[in-house]
Amino acid sequence: MTDLGLESGQTEELRNLHELKPSKIIDIRGAICPHPLNIIRDTIINLGDREILQAICDHEPTAKENAPRLCIRRSYPYRVIEKNGLWHIFIQKIEKTQPRLRVLNVSKVFKTNHGKVIALDNVNLTIQEGEFVCIVGPSGCGKSTLLNLTAGLDKPTQGEIWSNGNRVSGPGSERVVVFQEGALFPWLTVIDNVEFGLKLRKVAPEIRRTLALDYLKLVGLDEKFHNSFIHQLSGGMKQRVALARALVMEPAILLMDEPFAALDVYTRETLHEELQNIWIESHKTIVFVTHNVQEAVLLGDRVIVFARNPGRIKSEYEIDIARPRKIDHPEVFLNTKWITDDLKEELEGQLQYKTNEKEVVYG
Amino acid sequence: MSKRLIKLILFYLILVGLWQGLASLKLWPEYIFPTPVGVLKTLVTGFEDKTFIIGILISMKRLLIGYGISIVVGLCVGLLIGRIKTLDETVGSLVLGFQALPSICWLPIALLWFGLSESAMLAIVILGSLFSIIIGADTGVKNVPPIYIRAARTMGASGLQLYTKVIIPAALPSIISGFKQGWSFAWRSLMAAELLYVGLGLGHLLMMGRELNDMNLVIAVMIVIIIIGIVVDRLIFAKIESRVRERWGLV
Repeated sequence: MTDLGLESGQTEELRNLHELKPSKIIDIRGAICPHPLNIIRDTIINLGDREILQAICDHEPTAKENAPRLCIRRSYPYRVIEKNGLWHIFIQKIEKTQPRLRVLNVSKVFKTNHGKVIALDNVNLTIQEGEFVCIVGPSGCGKSTLLNLTAGLDKPTQGEIWSNGNRVSGPGSERVVVFQEGALFPWLTVIDNVEFGLKLRKVAPEIRRTLALDYLKLVGLDEKFHNSFIHQLSGGMKQRVALARALVMEPAILLMDEPFAALDVYTRETLHEELQNIWIESHKTIVFVTHNVQEAVLLGDRVIVFARNPGRIKSEYEIDIARPRKIDHPEVFLNTKWITDDLKEELEGQLQYKTNEKEVVYG
Repeated sequence: MSKRLIKLILFYLILVGLWQGLASLKLWPEYIFPTPVGVLKTLVTGFEDKTFIIGILISMKRLLIGYGISIVVGLCVGLLIGRIKTLDETVGSLVLGFQALPSICWLPIALLWFGLSESAMLAIVILGSLFSIIIGADTGVKNVPPIYIRAARTMGASGLQLYTKVIIPAALPSIISGFKQGWSFAWRSLMAAELLYVGLGLGHLLMMGRELNDMNLVIAVMIVIIIIGIVVDRLIFAKIESRVRERWGLV
């Protein structure tokens, strides 16, 4: 028996994690698809607080890299022990007393001239502190609706949304949104735009200015543009300012609604890099809505795939690739392909359904 | 630019020359067809004995008071109509109806209510400019991109702050256009109203010229009225408007 010494070891209790009685033992030898890590993750979901999972695994990367990363990200105590060429992974689930965001049975119905449209149908989602969650899906799947509900700009027809332990009843600066484009105020200079929210909070002018300058520096906007007006900036610079304007509020959750969709490929890649670096430094909780699967894989710890008619969560992927991720990383490519196939299957299923309908009509 | 200026100067020189030439043919008596020299003389004496200056000041005073009231009332009403649907559907339609009415058509009512008095003049100025200002503010508010309001709300803006920090600045280009149009309507209707009212305004001077058969005075006052109109419109409002539009990125 070799102790690999892979552990989060903070307390005596954790040191002996493997000596405590696990409440569930799973044997994932030979698992390839789904990936062993996904099996572990799905098993943890059903565990109670402080319960311990023992996974017996023959996949070295899962034991040595993927599982530890998952645990570090969620602050779960863990210990990996090698025995007879197999790895025993012990993970203790610690339920955070307060997840950053909880979406509970949320439905949203819009009434239009053509009748009711179910934009969201019974969606449940929990996001922990420090998670970077990407939501992908075809247009009309309700991903932006969910973001609006979370921001408090709209009210759910059914269900509840809890942010930081408080029920969301309206917009608030602890949930700031970065919109696609055109949300900066043209009558203010760049720096005044960034200071806008702080001014509403009645932060003293000197502190306001210092904070704004700090965050403009963080997003990498050249100093010579600080006093420019918005229409004088390029698309990429505008989104940098928008990001700074949101980050300066130090929100508990940063909501991003396809923020880079209107940018050209090169600018988008640069901003992906910057956003990743910002996240690595700050571990902000981010919910990022996009229709670009590659973008989601590149940025997210978790990618949540939405389906439409009615809008709902179809599947969820844990993206376990070391950061900062590059677009040409093979695992980024693979994950992108899997998720794209998943989405395509969904869309084709609907197409099939429509063709059938036609057959009925014409037949 | 200077080429344009030369063309302009040449054009006016030729125009005045033709006028002088036509007048020196003496086809008509001078009380029907004045000479440029006569008009210039009247202008100079008018300013020297301060009749024109007093006329300008009196007209301006009426205009500024009436226009000021219009701005305050019109802005409030317009901002409310733009945001509150019920008000828009009720008061909004009334405003649109009144806007279609040429402002001088308010004169009979003003005369009946206030008599031939300062208050009637004021009423004409207010009614002449009010609806343009309301509509300018209303259109501006309605055309504020909803994303500005949404963005501001997620940053914690609410209630009155939304108005002062987002809606009014965002609607400013349209509000300024409303002010500009309101001003020119007020100016036109005041001149028309003053024709009827013995109150020393510019319109009254114009009418005095007619009563005295002094065509020089008529033309001189007309020139003063035109110049004031151009100065206010071109030099004040057009400047503000273009600066706002530039800053808002609308050009």
